[in-house]
Amino acid sequence: MNFPNEVEILLVEDNPQDEELTLRALKERNIANQLFVARDGAEALDFFFGEGSHPWREIGIVPRVILLDLKLPKVDGLEVLRRLKTDERTRALPVVVLTSSREEPDIAAAYRLGANSYIVKPVDFESFARAVSDVGLYWVLLNELPR
Amino acid sequence: MIGTGLSLERRIQIGFGIAVAIIVAVGAAALRSTEATVSSAQWVAHTLQVRAELEAGFADLIEAETGVRGYVITGDTTYLAPYHSARATLNSRLAGLRALTADNPAQQRRLDSLDTLVATRLERFQWTIETRRTGGPAAAARAVSGGRGKELIRLVHDVITQMEEDEGRLLAQRSVTLQAKARLARLAAWTGALVALALAGLASVLVGREMAGRRVAEERLRLLVGSVRDYAIYMVDPAGYVKSWNAGAERIKGYAPPEILGQHFARFFTPEDVAAGRPAAVLHAAATEGRYEEENWRLRKDGSRFWADVVITAVRDERGALLGFAKVTRDLTERKRAEQALRASEERFRILAVTANDAILSADARGHITYFNPGAERIFGLTSDEVIDRPLTTLMPERFREAHRAGLARYVATGEARVIGKTVELAGRRKDGTEFPLELSLATWKHGSEVAFTAIIRDITARKEGEDQRRRYAAQLEAANKELEAFSYSVSHDLRAPLRGIDGFSQALLEDYHERLDDTGRDFLQRVRAGSQRMATLIDDLLSLSRVTRSELQLAEVNLSTLAAATAAELQKSDPTRAVMFSIAPDLVVRADPGLMRIVLQNLLGNAWKFTAKRSPAHVEFGVTANDNGRAYFVRDDGAGFDMAYAAKLFGAFQRLHAAAEFPGTGIGLATVQRIVHRHGGQVWAEAAPERGATFYFTL
Repeated sequence: MNFPNEVEILLVEDNPQDEELTLRALKERNIANQLFVARDGAEALDFFFGEGSHPWREIGIVPRVILLDLKLPKVDGLEVLRRLKTDERTRALPVVVLTSSREEPDIAAAYRLGANSYIVKPVDFESFARAVSDVGLYWVLLNELPR
Repeated sequence: MIGTGLSLERRIQIGFGIAVAIIVAVGAAALRSTEATVSSAQWVAHTLQVRAELEAGFADLIEAETGVRGYVITGDTTYLAPYHSARATLNSRLAGLRALTADNPAQQRRLDSLDTLVATRLERFQWTIETRRTGGPAAAARAVSGGRGKELIRLVHDVITQMEEDEGRLLAQRSVTLQAKARLARLAAWTGALVALALAGLASVLVGREMAGRRVAEERLRLLVGSVRDYAIYMVDPAGYVKSWNAGAERIKGYAPPEILGQHFARFFTPEDVAAGRPAAVLHAAATEGRYEEENWRLRKDGSRFWADVVITAVRDERGALLGFAKVTRDLTERKRAEQALRASEERFRILAVTANDAILSADARGHITYFNPGAERIFGLTSDEVIDRPLTTLMPERFREAHRAGLARYVATGEARVIGKTVELAGRRKDGTEFPLELSLATWKHGSEVAFTAIIRDITARKEGEDQRRRYAAQLEAANKELEAFSYSVSHDLRAPLRGIDGFSQALLEDYHERLDDTGRDFLQRVRAGSQRMATLIDDLLSLSRVTRSELQLAEVNLSTLAAATAAELQKSDPTRAVMFSIAPDLVVRADPGLMRIVLQNLLGNAWKFTAKRSPAHVEFGVTANDNGRAYFVRDDGAGFDMAYAAKLFGAFQRLHAAAEFPGTGIGLATVQRIVHRHGGQVWAEAAPERGATFYFTL
């Protein structure tokens, strides 16, 4: 685990393959330096609301975008989304659901809970890489957040 | 007018009686007056006769004296003729006068004097005559002069004069009486004539008026009877021949008066009644009893039968002689039919109640059973005899009885119903005490002022079991569906992640180790990637098929033409190099699930697009045609087509009629289309020939 000075992307992903492929896609566009990975929902919630010691939170670092898988161990993605979007401190953070599920109920639930975007991971790597890097480029470089 | 309580005959009799009495009285009075007149006239004649006799007597006497004197003077005896004559006539005259005046004592007394005087005078004449004959004229003259002849004559004259005066006085008296009586007779005659005339006039007016009234009444009655249309009213003579005929008779029986008058009434009877001698029998009955009534079939002129209410009344004169029969007939066919229909209907309902599988029972306001059909007997195991007049609670488990009593009391008291008019599920109790579930429909009606109830009860034991079974199946099905959903989710999510890994790392290998791999190695990696991507497509299509089955239908108006045009445009955009002529029929609007219809058209038009890849220009048509079940929509192309021998495989999942290398695809599309069409209650089928294109039809 690395300790970046500045977290620009928080990736919540339990699948190491997907994690690596995501990183690879972001690296190709040189936007993977400031990325933190949470490997389940609990860890993701800990990042924002946890009891323990988290220097990146203490020094006031907030990610520019959260890439959130839905099917996660412990606390699932939709619950993480609900908690983030119902808390004043985190409501403004952009959350992009990045998942294998194309199921209509998942899509509807995600948007109802306040997801900012919903991306189905393509199997084809070129498409996948394009999707991930486009998301990274858009939210990290183009999107303006409140200060 | 004379008292109206009297009959015309009586009044006429009384009127004429009075007139006759008056005429008789007048006649009697006239007769009496005439008689009086006649008697008065006789009295006048009598008086005149008396006077004439008196004068004649006196004249006889004078003539006798004159004769006697002549004899005395002359001695000629011829002069004595008057004397002799007078001697003869005077006695008879005096006798006649005595008879004439027998009723008058005064005259009789005078006649006595006259008799004496005349007798004396005649004596004197005798003596004178004797003297003359014996003594000569001188003695005679002396005798005459010495006699008292003159004095006697004077006395006779005086008596006669008295008698004449008396008779004259009587005559005058009687004339006055006669005139008075004649006047009275005239008066009586005139008065009687006038009164009789007046009475005759009055009688004539009364009778005329009565007759006119009678004529009007008779005319009214005739019109009334004649115009009655609802009743046939006619007369037959004692032998049964028709004598009168009204409009009702014509309407009901169909005969015009000329056709039927004089005909025998037996023709109104049915042949079987005629054979049984009914026409004579009914007349006989009417003649004996005075009146006969029956309801029976009768014939119309056209031979059709009608149900008649017949009343026959014997008509007799005052002496009791039979004049004929009055017949009043009413056509009750409609009522008879209604009664028959009612009976038939009652019979139908009775059969319905008897044959019904359900229990049908009724109860009175006290909740006591009044009817219990065989279905009820079967369901409850009780016979009708066992439950009639028993309370309905007999049929209920103990725990429902109190609620039933309270509900019944409340309904009877307030009309507030909780169960009535609804179908409720309750429990029933059989004779053996076992309980069973039942469905109860309760209705109420008013039987007079009493409330009554009808219950239809169905034993729903089997249905309940079926429902339980169904509930269990539904629960199982739901659980299975949940599992399937979870499975689909897993497939969707978990099967793709490894594929992404395979593809992703193959690509990484190709990129990062490009130099270390020879062409064969790179080709193998490309095949690995192709395989994983194809599998991803299969997974997507499978999930789509599963979604089509699971999602609920959202029916709405869908314009298939618009949808087809949009799909065609998408296809055209996906490969602008292809020349495909789309022909889409306008305004094909159906009621269906819009999302699923989009999938149907995407698949069918997509297939058409795909299988016309080797045609340029290709033609794809979307339209509608009529078939047995209504409208069939179709997508037709002029592409590769297929052999109809394989048509059965067409709609199965993963079935393909073309090599993947020739036309790409997973073989899920048509299976998806079929599922969607079936879910809309429609059919889908295809017609094709190799290299001659294919047409896919679907109905909704």
